[in-house]
Amino acid sequence: MMLRMVLDSWRRAPGRCGMMVLTAFLAAVLLTALLTISVDIGDKMAREMKSYGANILVEPAEQAVLPELFANGQGALPAGEAVLDEAELINIMSIFWRNNIIGFAPILSGEVESATGRIPVIGTWFNKSLPLADEPDFRTGQLSVSPFWQITGVLPDDEQPEVLAGVELARQKGWKPGDTITLAGRDITVAGILNSGAGEDYAVVAPLKPVQEWLDRQGKVQAVHVSALTVPENELSRRAGDDPDSLDAESYDLWYCTAFVSTISHQLEEAVSGAVARPVWQIAASEGVIITKLQWLLLLATFAALLAAAMGMASLASGSVMERAGEIGLMKALGAGNTEVELLFHAEALPAALAGGALGSAAGWGLAQIISWRLFGAPAGFNWIVIPVIALLSLVVAALGVHLASGRISRLSPAEVLHGR
Amino acid sequence: MTMPGYAIETRRLTKQFGRVLALNEVDLAIKTGEFAALMGASGSGKTTLMNILSCLDSPSSGDILLEGTAVGELDEEGRRLFRSRRIGLVFQQFHLIPYLNALENVMLAQYYHSVVDEPSARKALDDVGLSHRFDHLPGQLSGGEQQRVCIARALVNRPGLIFADEPTGNLDEQNEERVLDILRALHRDGRTIVMVTHNPALGAAAERIIRLNHGRIES
Repeated sequence: MMLRMVLDSWRRAPGRCGMMVLTAFLAAVLLTALLTISVDIGDKMAREMKSYGANILVEPAEQAVLPELFANGQGALPAGEAVLDEAELINIMSIFWRNNIIGFAPILSGEVESATGRIPVIGTWFNKSLPLADEPDFRTGQLSVSPFWQITGVLPDDEQPEVLAGVELARQKGWKPGDTITLAGRDITVAGILNSGAGEDYAVVAPLKPVQEWLDRQGKVQAVHVSALTVPENELSRRAGDDPDSLDAESYDLWYCTAFVSTISHQLEEAVSGAVARPVWQIAASEGVIITKLQWLLLLATFAALLAAAMGMASLASGSVMERAGEIGLMKALGAGNTEVELLFHAEALPAALAGGALGSAAGWGLAQIISWRLFGAPAGFNWIVIPVIALLSLVVAALGVHLASGRISRLSPAEVLHGR
Repeated sequence: MTMPGYAIETRRLTKQFGRVLALNEVDLAIKTGEFAALMGASGSGKTTLMNILSCLDSPSSGDILLEGTAVGELDEEGRRLFRSRRIGLVFQQFHLIPYLNALENVMLAQYYHSVVDEPSARKALDDVGLSHRFDHLPGQLSGGEQQRVCIARALVNRPGLIFADEPTGNLDEQNEERVLDILRALHRDGRTIVMVTHNPALGAAAERIIRLNHGRIES
């Protein structure tokens, strides 16, 4: 009989049912969009924040004891200075979290003779082709690691005798893009003027290979800047960062399989022999803090939307109770208990909420795509978890709404509504 | 206090709404199978008395026995169960659920009583001359037909006590007569009927008239 009543109610009073579906639909649109963005925002923001530059510095273990000298990978190369093997850098793309590596760029710096005296020079990769077994088109270098670089002119070709002149050095020397300069006895073209806001502004930035030749360090690099997508640090990652061996097996596995900056650093040390990988904390930590705060903000907004939806549903249910006071009074007069009447309202509301929730999740996912394209220029990732969560939330919102209105049902006296006492 | 042969008995039944005394120590006894009409001017307390007698409301003080059960001592849940099992209600405004058809409206009383029995519900409608209106919604029925659906719903669980509140208040003369015929038939069948009315012609159809005035029984 209950089913018959619910079906008749939907069929013969479609407006009421339609309002419930609409309320659940609007709530689901909002919740789906917020949840999808919330789940996806970690990756999106981490990617966006790569414009801050590399968040991991890999350098020789011996050199790490005096990090201040080489924090930017610059400065003269003392004789006998520890170096890394360039040939091993490809191993970076074989670590467990290789898909989180946005890019990396080696650094070798020193001084070379120019027509006007010795000048600082930094060797690096700009956008070097580094064919991998499963990704033959792979390229990496400063283009992916330092997207904040402002270049007047063009990016040098890694295989050509082309360089970038730091903006301050170029101003001193009067160089401009297209000029030919002499470095270590070779004619080199200034492809562009670099403004990085850092030490590169006072140096010539050249492809790695000629710099290795000029400094007599063939196949060697001083440091590697790595840009990786990471998740915000937590207590576990901090403990592991201090000493991974202090973790028990289960904690170690959890840490190793999470893209913490300390995890990726650890794996980089395993990939490059004699290397120490240090997170650049001012980048890594601020990324974590911002992403965590954004996620909390979105979750808060989701909770507010959930509350508003429940209030909307409660208001609808309350209106329905008032509108159907005579019907409820009659049911009670015939012997229905408060629970039975509430059950009828639940039975009417829950499927409507589920239907509205299903339609709303589809529309909400579309809205999330629009927001994601507008904010990040990329689609939001599809996450299956959002579907059951929205279905559950729709049911919870409807149940909560009816529950909030159930006080009115309990207080409704059949004598009052049927006879007018 | 129970007197044999009485379906309804009240002693010093009082109902107060704030400072208004709606019923003032009403003593009443209605025999089993009796057809009584409660009459009185507006505000005399007849609807209040009927709400209490039909277990829709509780008294402020006093005793009430229905078919030997002291319903005044029951809590809301107890009154609800008693009402669903022992009482049939007929309303002036019919109070049919608009999205259920005539048959389903009758079956609703069965649902809240015990179990739904469609053949019995059909028979109840047949008994009031509505066998051709099973599938009609209340909006598709005339006032007289709606009242007969309401009566069928009151009778379907075969209650011993039937309370009718102005059962012909919204009906034309022809339908009024038809409803009265049904009530008379129920009376002949041995049901105890209490009908509230302010219509003297309708009151005359009952075998006993109980007059209320300012919350007291006048005669």
